[in-house]
This record gives sequence, structure tokens and C-alpha cells, in this order.
Amino acid sequence: MKSTENVLEIRDLVKDFPGVRAVNNVSFDIKRNTVHCLVGENGAGKSTLIKILTGAYARTSGKILLNGEEYSPHSTRDAKQKGISTLFQELNVVDQLTVEENLTLGEEETTFGFLRKTDKINKMISVMNSLEPSIKPRQLVSSLSVAKKQIVEIVRAVATESDIIIMDEPTAAISESEIARLFTIIKGLRENNVTVIYISHRLDEIFELGDYVTVMRDGKHIDTKPVSQIQDRSELIKMMIGKTVFEQYTPREGECPDAILQVKHLSNHKLNDISFEVKAGEIAGFYGLVGAGKTELARAIYGVDEYEGEITFKGKNLQPSPDKAIAAGIALVPEERRSQGLFTILTIRGNVPVMNMKKISRNGFIDATTERNVTLDFVDKLKIATSSIEKESGKLSGGNQQKVVLSKCLFADADLLMLDEPTRGIDVGAKSEIYSLIRQLSKEGKSIMIFSSELPEVMNICDSIYLLYDGSLKATLRNGCDVDSENILHIVTGGE
Amino acid sequence: METNQVRKLLTSGKLSDESFLTLFMIGVLVVVFGIACIVVPNFYQPQNMINLITNNWFVIILGIGVTFLLITGNFDMSVGGVIALTGVLSVYFCQGANVSQNALANGLGLPYGVAIGLTLLCAAGVGAINAFFIAGLKVPSIIVTLGTMMLTRGVAQVITQGAQRNTSLPDAFGVLGNLSISGTSIKLSVLVMLALIIIAFIFEKKTVAGRRTYLIGANPEAARLSGINVSRHLTALYIFSALLAGITGVLLASEYKSGMSGMATGYEFDALVIALLGGVSIAGGFGSVLGMFVGAIILSVVTSSATGLLLSPDWQFTLKGIVTFMAILAQRFALDKRKG
Repeated sequence: MKSTENVLEIRDLVKDFPGVRAVNNVSFDIKRNTVHCLVGENGAGKSTLIKILTGAYARTSGKILLNGEEYSPHSTRDAKQKGISTLFQELNVVDQLTVEENLTLGEEETTFGFLRKTDKINKMISVMNSLEPSIKPRQLVSSLSVAKKQIVEIVRAVATESDIIIMDEPTAAISESEIARLFTIIKGLRENNVTVIYISHRLDEIFELGDYVTVMRDGKHIDTKPVSQIQDRSELIKMMIGKTVFEQYTPREGECPDAILQVKHLSNHKLNDISFEVKAGEIAGFYGLVGAGKTELARAIYGVDEYEGEITFKGKNLQPSPDKAIAAGIALVPEERRSQGLFTILTIRGNVPVMNMKKISRNGFIDATTERNVTLDFVDKLKIATSSIEKESGKLSGGNQQKVVLSKCLFADADLLMLDEPTRGIDVGAKSEIYSLIRQLSKEGKSIMIFSSELPEVMNICDSIYLLYDGSLKATLRNGCDVDSENILHIVTGGE
Repeated sequence: METNQVRKLLTSGKLSDESFLTLFMIGVLVVVFGIACIVVPNFYQPQNMINLITNNWFVIILGIGVTFLLITGNFDMSVGGVIALTGVLSVYFCQGANVSQNALANGLGLPYGVAIGLTLLCAAGVGAINAFFIAGLKVPSIIVTLGTMMLTRGVAQVITQGAQRNTSLPDAFGVLGNLSISGTSIKLSVLVMLALIIIAFIFEKKTVAGRRTYLIGANPEAARLSGINVSRHLTALYIFSALLAGITGVLLASEYKSGMSGMATGYEFDALVIALLGGVSIAGGFGSVLGMFVGAIILSVVTSSATGLLLSPDWQFTLKGIVTFMAILAQRFALDKRKG
């Protein structure tokens, strides 16, 4: 069976989540012993597709043939046994163990409970010597760089005779020279009967490495082509964004007044000399792909992460601590709704007033009536769908949870609102409600910073657009005049 | 009119899980108490009922601090040690200076008021040490407070040379711990406990600081991002908890007119057990002082019925263990049933 030309055939694959079709009738083939790239914007359905292939998700319908046989793994382990290994972004190695122990992890062979040295270990070690002789079997994995940890995982996949190795953004966290080394290894894998499915946001890598490329958009399969038939980045970008209809952005009338926030030469472990300013009443969008430094920028301004540089807010130096930021008039809606924004085990009433307890209390004592009324007002204003304000907030739907977090920040009476991925994972209706809320706040004179990895979101509501790549500010655009989405994607994928 | 009705509807919610659990444990208390009244001779006597509360004032006071810290998701295992240390210190500060050849009879000769002040200051110091490691250096609270638990008792043993100090004390020393409402067994200590329970209840339900305690336990990261100074709040709570233990230590030393290094051994576990019996979650964000109080009475009913049935005191620990298991199983069951 192994002689079939296609190692993997995907037919009419569908995956539904409540309210969303994440993968929509996708069909394509992956040819044996090729490097097959998978590209698409955030939310295009790549990750969902990969999770189906690795057994993390069950498909809703459709068919997958691996080596011509029906393939439906029920776990990552099962997928591995059937021949598909995955190199996740979150590496699957145990730092406290040696390289050798990591290689056989979960597949140790024992005699009466004692570890036995077997052919398997020797085989793994010889594979490793051929790929990267500088890694020693007795070395602790914690002493290896990220790139070398990846190689340990690749060795494990190769030695278990995987037909396919999926790599999810393997170059996101490693240096240039290590990338070159990784590419050599990937090309070597292709010679040795391994098919690589390669996912990356860096489009240049696709031209350097790929044999085929599949483009996905909004859960649909757009096209699969040999890379040689694609002229340049911009053709690829066009396929990725398609004819996305952006809701018409209306430029604001009149000149914006003074700057409320000034950031000068901001740098830290992730950010690289970022300077900009936000004006009163302005909606500023920060766009970049995953790992570009959006969240880190928001956290630095809010005083959660350390930084060097100068941040002034309303003409005063901003003290780096969230409580000081809130007191000065800044509020943050964090990226991770459930773990950073919401008190899931508390009620809606317990959540909404949290950032401005002064307003619902007198001399440190909470006024229950005010508390209730404030909460009711927000439930009303933001149309939070709930049977009662005494409901546990963690039991609301995603969109309503986000509205509770938004209420919390709005109640802080901030003059600058920072929203990190404000509409991630929520349905279209709630999304447009949140957009109109943002516009209204801006009309009331509040400044808003939106950190987003969704281009339509940024183009649709922001007055100015800042493009981030790899921790640096690459370009600043005024929305409405010279903005074109192809150029933006060119910049945020590392193009000059 | 219509919007008013909608608003009214939106504010009506079913009972919160906390209130439900407290009511459930009161139910358990009634059942356990009922059984004890039938089985144990003279258990129903009013004096016995009063004793159920008055015999446990010290554990309940400790339980207040322990409960609030548990709600923030932290332990305080040092409270028993702090009682021993502060008891011994209050004696040492009061004992006459250079009055005897015996080292254990000599102290600093300070007036009782000053001695109490200094002792409570030392207690607050222990709380500050806990807070420094837990809130400042982010060391897990269980480790830190186990350390101070041994440290405090260790210092108490050094000062008493492993025994006790009870000589050359002024008369004033024995007054506080033995004051009682005339004609009853209700001591000043019990009144202090009741007052503290009421204050703690108001703190928990009505104040902003009380609310923050729950927010920190429910989600420390979100609490920080919502502008709550988590370290400062934890520091205040650890100092508060140590002060409660300090007050208890001073009162107990006064009651016995003695500072014993072996005083209050295991009380930190008793305080933990009554909080858990009262439905406080070790995961944080959930529980109440009232629940802890009910938990204390349940434990008291069980142990005193054992005494009433002439069961050997050797059985006390076994019995406490069994009750703890049963009560916590019952809670799990009740909560799961409720969530359906």
C-alpha cells in the first residue's frame, strides 16, 4: 500500500464547533516524501485541521485516508502509532530528564521494572548522531536550546518510523543559524521517506522549503499548488486574504487633539525599541501575527512586565504596576479571558465592579444596592444574555463572558482602554456589538488601543494602524487613505 | 414599570453555593446533635450546650485567620506555634527581673500592659515573616508556614528550656484569662471569640477588603490585572492571622498563669479541619467564617459525646479523622447533587 502516490488524502472534511464551522468541506492530497506547507491567516482553520490529524479533535464528518487506508486517530499517541507525529509549538520534552530518557519516554522497555538498554535506544542514538552529533545522549534536556530540543523531538518521530511529521511554526522561537540547520534536517527527512507538513506565518520559508502549498481561508480550502508555480509572496498573500470585504471604515472628522499616551524607546525581552503616541479619542490598532509582540506591548504599558524606556500618560510618567495604571486611568482587557480577565467562580455581580470598588462603597463598606444597580446597568447596556446577575460568570457563553470582562474595564472609568484580542472566539453578533461599543466610546472621547491578530477587525474600526513583526514596530498607517491589506500582510510576515 | 420588573427578575438568583453549603452543614449539625442527645446521657442539658461553644473558643479564633487565608488560596500552619511563643513571651516579659537563682524564674519585669503590647508585636512579626516569603518571594505558603510553625515553637522551647515558666508573676497576669460573667462559665475569652466572629462576618460580607479576599482566591492573576495589590492584601491577612493567634496565646497563658512551650500543639490542624468541615475550599475563592463556626461546633459535638459515652480519650483523634472524612464526603455529594 505504501506505494500510493499520496500519503494523505483528505476528503470533504468538516469540523463544527458551537456556532462556528471551523473546517468547511476541505479536500486535498499530500504527496509522499514532500514538504507540504499549510498557510492561512489566524482563524483560517489550520490549527483545527492539524488537531484532527493528530487526534486531538474528532471530525464532524468527512474522510481521511493515510496510505490509502481509513485513518481516524482517537489520541495523539494513537496518531503517532499510525504514523503521524507532531512537533507542537509547546515542545513535548521533559527538561529534567536526559536526552536518552526523553527519546524513549513512554516507550521504555523494562525487565522486572528495571530499564533495559535495547536496540531501540541504540537506533535512536544513531539517528540522532546522523542529524545532530553535538547532542549527547546523557545530556540533560534543560541544557539544550529550543532548536536542539526540536531536534530531539524530530529524532523521536523519525525513529518511530513516522510517515508524516507535522511541524507547527517550528521557527517561531529559534535563531537564524538554527533555522538554517533545521531546514537542512527537514530536507534530509524528505530524502528518507518522510513527508513533512509545515505550518508557518513566515512566507519566505515556504519558498525556500516547500514543494507544495495549501492555502486555507475561513475554514475553507482555497487551493493546493506546487510552490514552483507560485510567482511571489504577493500571489500567496492574495490567496490568503481573498476578496475580504472590509466593513467601510469612516475616517473621523476634524483633527485629533493632544496625545494622551506617549511611548518612547520601549524595549524588553520581547520588544525592540518601540515608540508611538495615542491621542485622546483615537482608536489605535496594533496588528501582527502570533508572536509579534502585541500582548507583550500591552502588558508592558500596563505595568505587568518589566521594560526599559519611557511611558508618559496624561503628561505624567506612568508607574509600572497595574494598580497604578488603573489609578492613572488605564484599563486592560487581557488576552486570556478565562485565566486573566474573569473570576469564573464568582457571579456576574461579583465581577463587574471589581476594578472600581470605590464607586460602589463608602468608607470601605460595599453598598449592595449600588452594586446591584451598576451590574444591572451593564447587563442592560452591553446586552449580556443571562437569567440573573447572580449567575456564575464562568457558565456564560464566550461572548457574554467577554462582555462581563469589558463591563469590568468600562466601570474602571478609564480614559485609555487597552483591548487584547477583544473578539477572539466569540460569535459574529457579539463581535459587531463590541465594535459599535468601541466606536461609541471613542466618540465620548476615550482612547482605545486594540491588539489584534485579525486584520478585518483592525481595518474596520481603527483610526491608525501599527504593524508589529518580531517585537518591532515596522510601520504606522493612517486608516482610510493609503491602507491596502496586501501591503500590510507583506509587512507583518517579515517582508521589507 | 416593565423594566423595573425585568431588573427585579435579574437580581433574583438561587442561593449561592456558599450559603447552601453553610445551611447544609447546619443541617448536619442538627442531625449529629440530635443523635448525641438521644445516645449520650445528659447531652441535652443547657450547660452542656454552652460548653460546646465555650470549650472551643481558641480553635475558633484561630479558624478566622485560617479561613480567610484559605479563601485566598493560602495556608497558615504557624498559628499553633505562635500561641506557644506568645504565651511564653507574655510570661517572660512580666516575670520579675533578677529575683531568683533559677533562670526560669527571671524575666524582664515589665508591666503587664507593656508585656502584652510587646508580645502582640512579636506575633505580628511572625506574620510579617510569613508574608515576606509568601507574598514577596512567592514561596508556597504551606512550606513557609511549616517553617515558622517549627521556628516559633522552637524559640518558645529555648525560652522555657523545654518546659514552662510560671513563677514570679504579678497578680495582674492571671486576671484576663480567668474573668467570666458572674455565675456562668462564659469567660472573657469566649466573648472575645464571639466579637471576633461577628467582626469577621461583617468583614467577609460587607467590606471591600473582604471582597478582595475572595477575588484573590478566585483568580490571583485576574485580581492583579484588575488593580488589586495582592501582596499587600496577603501581608495584611498573614499579620492579622498571627495577631489572632497572639491574642489567643496571651489569653491562654493568663488562664493557666503559665507559659508552656508545648501549648496548643496540633491546633493549627484543628483550625484547618474546622474550616474544611465548614465548607472552605483549599482551592481558594470559596468558603465562609460562619461555615467554619458551624464546623467547629460539629467537631465539638462529636468529641464531647465521645467523652460522655466514656470512650477513652485515646479515641479522640480517630474519631476526629472519621468525622472529617464523613463530613467532607457529604459536602461533595451535596454540591454535586446540586449542580446536577
